[in-house]
Amino acid sequence: MKENREGIKGWLNPTRYGANRFAYWLQRLTGLGLLVYFIAHVIETSNIVYGRSAWEKMLAFTQTSEGHIVLIVVIGMCAFHAANGVRLYIAEHGKGIGRPGRPEYPYKPASLGLGMKACIWVSVALAALAMMYGAYVLFGEV
Amino acid sequence: MMVRESSIMRIHYYTGLAAIILVAIHILFRLTVPEGYSASLEYENVIANYKNISYALVLELILITVAVHGFNGLRVILLELRQGDVWESTVKWLCIAGAVGIIAYGTRTIILASMV
Repeated sequence: MKENREGIKGWLNPTRYGANRFAYWLQRLTGLGLLVYFIAHVIETSNIVYGRSAWEKMLAFTQTSEGHIVLIVVIGMCAFHAANGVRLYIAEHGKGIGRPGRPEYPYKPASLGLGMKACIWVSVALAALAMMYGAYVLFGEV
Repeated sequence: MMVRESSIMRIHYYTGLAAIILVAIHILFRLTVPEGYSASLEYENVIANYKNISYALVLELILITVAVHGFNGLRVILLELRQGDVWESTVKWLCIAGAVGIIAYGTRTIILASMV
C-alpha cells in the first residue's frame, strides 16, 4: 500500500484526471494562498492601532506596484475559490453530478458532465475578469 | 467531544458561503468611496470605518468565518496528505490554535481601532 502513496507529488499532478482534478488542485492552491494572505492582512491592518505614522508606513510598503500585483493575484485566487466553491457546494448536495450507473466503456465519469466542466471554466473566466477589474482599479488611479 | 466530519464539512460550506457575502461587502466599502480606492485607505477613513458599529460587526464576522473556513481547509488538506492518530490530533489542535489566535488578534485590532 505504501508504494501507492504519492504524497504532495500526487496531489500536485493535474495531468491524469482532466478538468475535475485541475479544479481540485487549483481549489487547494488558491485556498492555501488565501489563508496566507488573510493572516498577513490581519497583521498588516493591525498597524492602525499604533497611529497615523505606523499606518502610513504600512501603506507605503503595500501600496506599490509590487503590492498591487500581489493584490491582483489574490483577487484572482479569491474569485476562483469562491466560484468553484459554490460549484462544490451544489455538487455536495447531489445536483449536477448525474446518476450512478454501471461502468461502461469508455468509462466517462457521470459526476463530471458538461455542466460541471462548464462551471470550472466559468470559475476560471470569472477569476480572469476579476483580476482585470482589480488591475483597472489599482493601476487606473494616476 | 467528537464532532462528526460531515458536520464539520457542513460548517465549512456555510462559512464559505457567508464569507463570499461578507467579503463582497468589505470590498464594496473600499470601492464606493467617491474619492477613489486610495482615498478609502486614508487613516481617517479607515478609523471612521472601525467606528461604524455595523461595519465593525461585518469585519468581526469576516474574521470568524474566514478563520474557521481557512484553518479547517488547511486541516482537510493536511489530513489528505497523511493519516494517523498522532498526526490527525496534532493537525486538529494546531488548526484550532491558529484560528483562535488569528480571531483574537483581529478582534483586538477591531476593538482598539474603534476606540481611537
